[in-house]
Amino acid sequence: MNDEILVVDNVKKHFPVTQGIVLKKQVGAVKAVDGVSFTVRRGETLGVVGESGCGKSTMARCIMRLLDPTDGRIVFDGRDISRLSRAQMRPIRRDMMMIFQDPYASLNPRKRVGFIVGEALEVHKMGTEAEVKRRVQELLEVVGLNPEHYNRFPHEFSGGQRQRIGIARALAVNPKLIVCDEPVSALDVSVQAQILNLLKDLQSDFGLTYIFIAHDLNVVRYISDRVMVMYLGKMAEFADSKELYASPKHPYTGALLSAVPIPNPKLGRARHQIVLEGDVPNPINPPSGCVFHPRCPRFKEGVCDVDDPPAFSFGGSHQAKCYYPLERWPMTVEEIERRPAERLEQAVAALPH
Amino acid sequence: MYRYIVRRLLWAVVLFIAVTMVTYVIFFVIPADPAVLAAGRSARPADVERVRVYLGLNHSVPYQYALFLKRLVVDQSLGRSFVNRRDVDSMVGEAAPVTASLVFGGAILWMLLAMPIGVLSALRPRSLLDRSAMVFVLIGISMPVVWIGLVLQFLFGFKWAILPNAGYCNVFNPPTGATCGGPVDWFTHMILPWTTFAILFTAIYVRMIRSNVMDTLGEDYVRTARAKGAPPVQVMTKHVLRNAMLPVVTMLGMDIGIALGGAIFTEYIFGLPGLGRLAVTSLQNFDLPTIEGVVVFSTLCIIIFNLLVDILYAFIDPRIRLE
Amino acid sequence: MTTAEPLLDVRDLRTAFLTDDGIVGAVDGVSFSLDAGRTLGIVGESGCGKSVTNLTIMGLNPKTARVSGQALLRGEDLLQAAPRRLREIRGNEIAMIFQDPMTSLNPVHRIGDQLVEAVLLHNDISHAEAKARALESLEEVGIPQAARRIDDYPHQFSGGMRQRVMIAMALINDPDVLIADEPTTALDVTTQAQIISLIAQLQKEHGTAVIIITHDLGVVAEIADEIVVMYAARVVERGPVDELFERPSHPYTWGLLGSLPRLEADVERLAQIPGQPPSLLAPPRGCRFNPRCPYAFQRCHDEDPTLIKVSGTDDHVQACFLDEGTKAREAAKTLSAAAA
Repeated sequence: MNDEILVVDNVKKHFPVTQGIVLKKQVGAVKAVDGVSFTVRRGETLGVVGESGCGKSTMARCIMRLLDPTDGRIVFDGRDISRLSRAQMRPIRRDMMMIFQDPYASLNPRKRVGFIVGEALEVHKMGTEAEVKRRVQELLEVVGLNPEHYNRFPHEFSGGQRQRIGIARALAVNPKLIVCDEPVSALDVSVQAQILNLLKDLQSDFGLTYIFIAHDLNVVRYISDRVMVMYLGKMAEFADSKELYASPKHPYTGALLSAVPIPNPKLGRARHQIVLEGDVPNPINPPSGCVFHPRCPRFKEGVCDVDDPPAFSFGGSHQAKCYYPLERWPMTVEEIERRPAERLEQAVAALPH
Repeated sequence: MYRYIVRRLLWAVVLFIAVTMVTYVIFFVIPADPAVLAAGRSARPADVERVRVYLGLNHSVPYQYALFLKRLVVDQSLGRSFVNRRDVDSMVGEAAPVTASLVFGGAILWMLLAMPIGVLSALRPRSLLDRSAMVFVLIGISMPVVWIGLVLQFLFGFKWAILPNAGYCNVFNPPTGATCGGPVDWFTHMILPWTTFAILFTAIYVRMIRSNVMDTLGEDYVRTARAKGAPPVQVMTKHVLRNAMLPVVTMLGMDIGIALGGAIFTEYIFGLPGLGRLAVTSLQNFDLPTIEGVVVFSTLCIIIFNLLVDILYAFIDPRIRLE
Repeated sequence: MTTAEPLLDVRDLRTAFLTDDGIVGAVDGVSFSLDAGRTLGIVGESGCGKSVTNLTIMGLNPKTARVSGQALLRGEDLLQAAPRRLREIRGNEIAMIFQDPMTSLNPVHRIGDQLVEAVLLHNDISHAEAKARALESLEEVGIPQAARRIDDYPHQFSGGMRQRVMIAMALINDPDVLIADEPTTALDVTTQAQIISLIAQLQKEHGTAVIIITHDLGVVAEIADEIVVMYAARVVERGPVDELFERPSHPYTWGLLGSLPRLEADVERLAQIPGQPPSLLAPPRGCRFNPRCPYAFQRCHDEDPTLIKVSGTDDHVQACFLDEGTKAREAAKTLSAAAA
């Protein structure tokens, strides 16, 4: 399986909820990630998209082993890292790095830029002091910053420039995988484009693999090869980027896509919006069966609220966990609410007996 | 909420035991023999031994501590002083109201001063008022309490002689032979102690109130209130102060609780027979039961006040109340 | 088109702040007008002055602000109004909602009390009547079980629900103008769609004019009738929504449109605007976009461009010295790249 750099197999991360005066007893759990499985191919960008509470950030941290998964397996570059100790993880940490969302909070304001970018090199003892300095200056140039600014502090840079520093920091140790956790959400539109283009260029120059987490579907479409849609700790849909946007199968994906405002007034007026009711439910008490069923326009009682749907395959990488996937796209709300009979039989047949 | 209180009470018991036990240990670690002190200068070794047995100092430390606890819980008594064999209960009972008058009166005074100054400074940052307030704060925090007390005593009590110099007058039931008594005397005798005691706290609270109000003024919900067309006074009372004063209330509770343990300097200078003075004299005399008595009382005060403050906070801040 | 007087007419608005580092000209000669019942979208990136413009209209700037120009509400200049008159207008004739619903409500007061406060500030009615009105408005914005939830505290509501409460509070006195400052930026995509559709629906029902401030061109495309594009404290382009998207006429607008990743089309590479927005302490001479503009020439450094009409239109204006021919070509390029 050399082609797959990361295999995530039924990973769960539950945070316990305790009660009790002196002795604390676990009475429940926040099921932040509840059984997610996917693979990432070497050299591709996997986009992970979902709204607040869907678990995408928690999952990213589990992959990086910044959190320990409650259950499931994580196989990185052929090696099972799910239960490795801290000492065993150390050499592996060179190969997976992370870029964070907030360019103002993710850089230590009291350290100079040179130190920030070069710290990982020193931790992993990758060169003498002079070599590290040279490498850092090289990196600053690669990300579009002036290598002379080696000795400056973060507050002397703008938001976009700080994000470049974060990227340089991630690149320093030649990682194989970079997890980008909402790297452009806090940036202005014009700066966002600069950073996205930079990430794309770096990927082709250095053969990087990205996991790109975002809530902005436009951004995810632009940069990803394949996309995973998450909802309330579970995967809703997984597909090639183009295919997901052209023919989504899961009603939640459809709702997400139709909710994104389009900067084209005529197109925007012509499309049918699926406006979901209510809010995203609480991950402490997720709904039974398919977690999306309380808000789903295609909900069928007795089917959708009983068992969690398996991941039905739609050819190639395309999977969706839905008993009544959308037949085509776009669809009007009325069309979505009507479920064709034959799909019902298929769905019933798929239920475990 | 209820669970929270129960948990706090359990912790309070643990804390109480820890504090009183440490006091015992410290007392016995100090290289001085209370039996010698109690027996007096001209005592012979045999007398010292007799005193030792009499006071119960011949037992092991843990035994003495256990005895102390038993006496406290079962007999509800704090024992008898080594020095004058009086009930510690009554000694503490006489000293407590004095300290309480000082602390509560001082607290009212410092809040009456700190609130308007703090709020006005926050409303007009960098103005003349604000800058003078900050200078005052700096001076107030830097001047030693002893020095303030002595200066005030000298100026008002001696040089200009408008206020009494020292001493405490009971508000009710002055004991026979007392030189003064009644509410008026009580009040005039407390003016200087209150001022001395309050200056430091006023400075601290002005700074805290100013910073809290300034922070709150910048909050989004204050902007919303203004956007609704609320007049400045309503914005201040309904929105700003209710939020800005929350942390001040908690600090106030804690400070009062601590101060009830004895405002030592102030009491000493003005000759107030409060817990502070009691603590000092009993330490000088190695009078263990009295020391413990003061420790017990002040620990209880701190614990009770902390608990009250936490409960109060939960009442005022609905985010905590409705967990 | 403008036979009737506009409801809100902003003329040459300027707002400057005195800071320790110098004078920051946050708004530098902004003009636009809003007709009754219509929606105006103000777009721009952070620091362009879009929020400060509206805070100035409402009179909500800190005391260190120096303001000039006019903001005429039905002919009455808000910038000259007495504080008491301004307080009458706020929350009553003009209402404003802000970006972050999590912090815009007072955490220690109940929702119902905060709504009642908004009513009683401008209406001489009993507390019970005010509360009834509050309940009605909560139901109107779609809060489920409003009768029970009216006594809840803000922290018991989700972000989307809180924003609905803010909208209810703003519209409770039936204002003529609603100013929404980035109302959906802090919300999830599906919640955003709910809120936008709610604003549009309430606007139709109440006939309120809306000013929506955002950096999201998609949002204004959906909801606005007219758009104002701001850059570095100035207006660079202004026009009806369809017209502006079909014939964008300013290099900054092209840059904005080109740098947007698209949902409905395959974009090979995003157009990027180099550099970052200028500091308003010492803005560039001449056209403020010139340091980043790929088309800049000498005149752009020497003269301040003014808003001139795009040929063939009455209500589409832009502030750029480029000739019409180049503009048409470049606009077409941007649009075709986006539509591929």
